[in-house]
Amino acid sequence: MATERLRALLAHAFPDTTELCVEDRTGTGDHFQVTVASARFDGLSLLEQHRLVNEALAEPLADGTIHELRIKTKGTA
Amino acid sequence: MSATELSEKIKQVIEGEPVALFMKGTPQMVMCGNSLRALEALRRAGAPVVAVDILPDPAIRQELSAQSGWPTIPQVFVKGELLGGADIVEELEQTGQLERTLEEKLGAGYRDARGEKTVAVF
Repeated sequence: MATERLRALLAHAFPDTTELCVEDRTGTGDHFQVTVASARFDGLSLLEQHRLVNEALAEPLADGTIHELRIKTKGTA
Repeated sequence: MSATELSEKIKQVIEGEPVALFMKGTPQMVMCGNSLRALEALRRAGAPVVAVDILPDPAIRQELSAQSGWPTIPQVFVKGELLGGADIVEELEQTGQLERTLEEKLGAGYRDARGEKTVAVF
């Protein structure tokens, strides 16, 4: 299940996460909304925060699993 | 067209246009909801938008992502610098940061040039 794969990748990249949500927006397993809260985002620009999420999901982004990705990041500060 | 030529054309748009939007479709015929979200945020901010449709050839997206290090479409650049995708542009708009960034980078009168045009890189 793609949702579980994404969740595992994000949990691995953000081991300190206090909020981790992966939603299949369309029920088709390829349009996702992810929400991640982590201290890793503190002090970073939005662009840098989203880059970290994109990097964590590089594999499913590259292999076509993710057709559409919406990202919401939250710092802890 | 060679990959080098394509890469050069994309670079020209990014570096030469005040606001460049790489999107699926054109402002007149948007082909993706996220491209529309980014376009509409830029419209509301009164930005002068130069749009590039990435759909005519998969190579455009490949070259673009290779240059920007950003995997998804749309991608918005201001004065040659990646601002972000649809989520970032919307979030910046909601906090007022989008208009502040445009003012800082393009000057306070940037809205005078507001509008949309499409350029082809392929």
